[in-house]
Amino acid sequence: MDKEAFLARVGEYHKGGWRLALINATTVPSPDETTAGVFELSWAFAKDLEFETIRENIVLADEVPSVSDFFGAAFLYENEMRELFGINVTGIGLDLQGQLYKTSIKIPFSHAAVKARLEARGAATAAASGKKA
Amino acid sequence: MANPFRLPMAPRTIRNLFSKPATRRYPYEIRARFEGARGTIKFDVETCNYCMLCARRCPAAAITVSRDERTWSIEHLTCIGCNVCVEVCNKNSLSMSTDSKSVHTHAEVGPQGQRPGHEEWHGAAPEPAVARAPAG
Amino acid sequence: MKRTIIPFGPQHPVLPEPIVLDLILEDEKVIDAIPTIGYIHRGLEAMVDRVEFTEMGFVVERICGICSFMHGMGYCVALESIMSVEVPDRARWLRIIWAEISRIQSHLLWLGLGADAFGFENLFMHCWRMREEILDIFEKTTGGRIIHSVNRIGGVKRDISDSELIAIVAKLDELGKTFDATAKVFASDASIRHRLSGVGILSMADARAVDAVGPMARASGVRMDTRLTGQNLYDQLEFEPILEAAGDCLARVVVRMREVRQSIDLVHQMVDKMPKGEGLPLENKPRGNPSGETFTRLEQPRGEVVYYVKANGSKYLERFRARTPTFANIPAMIKLVKGCDLADVPNIILTIDPCISCTER
Repeated sequence: MDKEAFLARVGEYHKGGWRLALINATTVPSPDETTAGVFELSWAFAKDLEFETIRENIVLADEVPSVSDFFGAAFLYENEMRELFGINVTGIGLDLQGQLYKTSIKIPFSHAAVKARLEARGAATAAASGKKA
Repeated sequence: MANPFRLPMAPRTIRNLFSKPATRRYPYEIRARFEGARGTIKFDVETCNYCMLCARRCPAAAITVSRDERTWSIEHLTCIGCNVCVEVCNKNSLSMSTDSKSVHTHAEVGPQGQRPGHEEWHGAAPEPAVARAPAG
Repeated sequence: MKRTIIPFGPQHPVLPEPIVLDLILEDEKVIDAIPTIGYIHRGLEAMVDRVEFTEMGFVVERICGICSFMHGMGYCVALESIMSVEVPDRARWLRIIWAEISRIQSHLLWLGLGADAFGFENLFMHCWRMREEILDIFEKTTGGRIIHSVNRIGGVKRDISDSELIAIVAKLDELGKTFDATAKVFASDASIRHRLSGVGILSMADARAVDAVGPMARASGVRMDTRLTGQNLYDQLEFEPILEAAGDCLARVVVRMREVRQSIDLVHQMVDKMPKGEGLPLENKPRGNPSGETFTRLEQPRGEVVYYVKANGSKYLERFRARTPTFANIPAMIKLVKGCDLADVPNIILTIDPCISCTER
């Protein structure tokens, strides 16, 4: 991920008076064991009637810079991304150090956790169809 | 500084002195539910053909159907009242009644120790199939 | 100067929602507030792995009881956009009629809670008595008071006959008269004015800097309303977002009161403009599985809600995200709470209209 270019784009939005609407992360399950799992990150900006998004695809090892310098309200989204997805976001304005969410499963959207849920679903559907037939 | 002698609630307060209370003395007075309100699912065992569509489409997995054993059961307290089962049943065996699900009606544990709110039906055995001559 | 840390919430006598804040105080003034989320976190977004996309609508509806209708509608609108489903006209009108009635109900609930928070319990009861009329309308038309379950991908499941619509409009007009009498209390009562006027001022520049949404931003003079984008048939209605300039707690109360009146007027317009007749189609069932991604925005009573849905061609969605307006207003709340007295904290928290079930999903 090209951090300089990304932050420059975010700066453009800030200068143009856009508002930060959402920072989202999606766990994309990897097709096989060898490829690293990808996270699709979206930064969505809104201004009056328009809505635009920046999309970056990263892997777990990547460092994601915080946009808190431009948009102070970003700290909530970035803390959430760190705690629920395990993504390494650096330089968050108000860093809650893992205390924002209290979940029973740590990092519930990590690739391992998502894979476990998909496998559990596969097993449950197989058992149910075996029982119902 | 606003006028402390202005009493905007006064007309309402005086009206309340002479009208009946806004609340109902539940459980001695119970309001009848409106027509079309979501309540409990009712099942007609005579018309069911055990196609299992209701069990497959229930979002809460509240309905269990067994085609071989001709049983149909529902957990009323798991049911979310979404009405999908009523919509998909092509034999019109299911309907939504306006009876509320309350602790009064669904608190007892079933005779075989089933969960409170469990309702089970056993249908008649199907007609024996006509034996077919083997092909070829 | 001694610093103390007071845990505020999740249970507190004046708190309407289980928000968790650690307040750092110096004497009686609040220096900082640190939020924590997790008391109501149910992991509903993780349920996309287990619940099929046709059934996910029921889960999304149940994210919150106050905002329930708009969540269901937003989910269905997002999936209709992915699957390119054309929703029948009457269904679209019915949806926004229910949405505006839901807005009235939500604001009445909040006005009651606001009154309760500064001790005016009688007014709280009056607001909720009016709200009961709205919930009766919902029970008659959708079958449920709080959770409606009428939205499906492709349309709605129940119809409201034309005569019923006229009766609903008449009932709303009657409610409007009772509401005006109560609104006068909010606006002119001396004790309310004393507690709310001049407290928690958010200037227009600050509202823009912290990305506040909804009535929170509109009370500071920022002209922001997702309904202005004209989606979901709002381009056929005439309305102007309600703005106030003061930016204090009283301005936020006034904005919500005027929005109740505006919603009653909008329902009038909708009933006039919608296609009339019996037996019009209500649902256009989609075929197959969704594939693609979309962002959908709606105007919930608390502000702009953004839904992000990503589907990959199977019957399970890959990602569903609801960024609710309270989530966007929490930085604004933290900014307001810094520097105020401890006694004003519950009032300020209440005037952002927190809905913690929505925030924590």
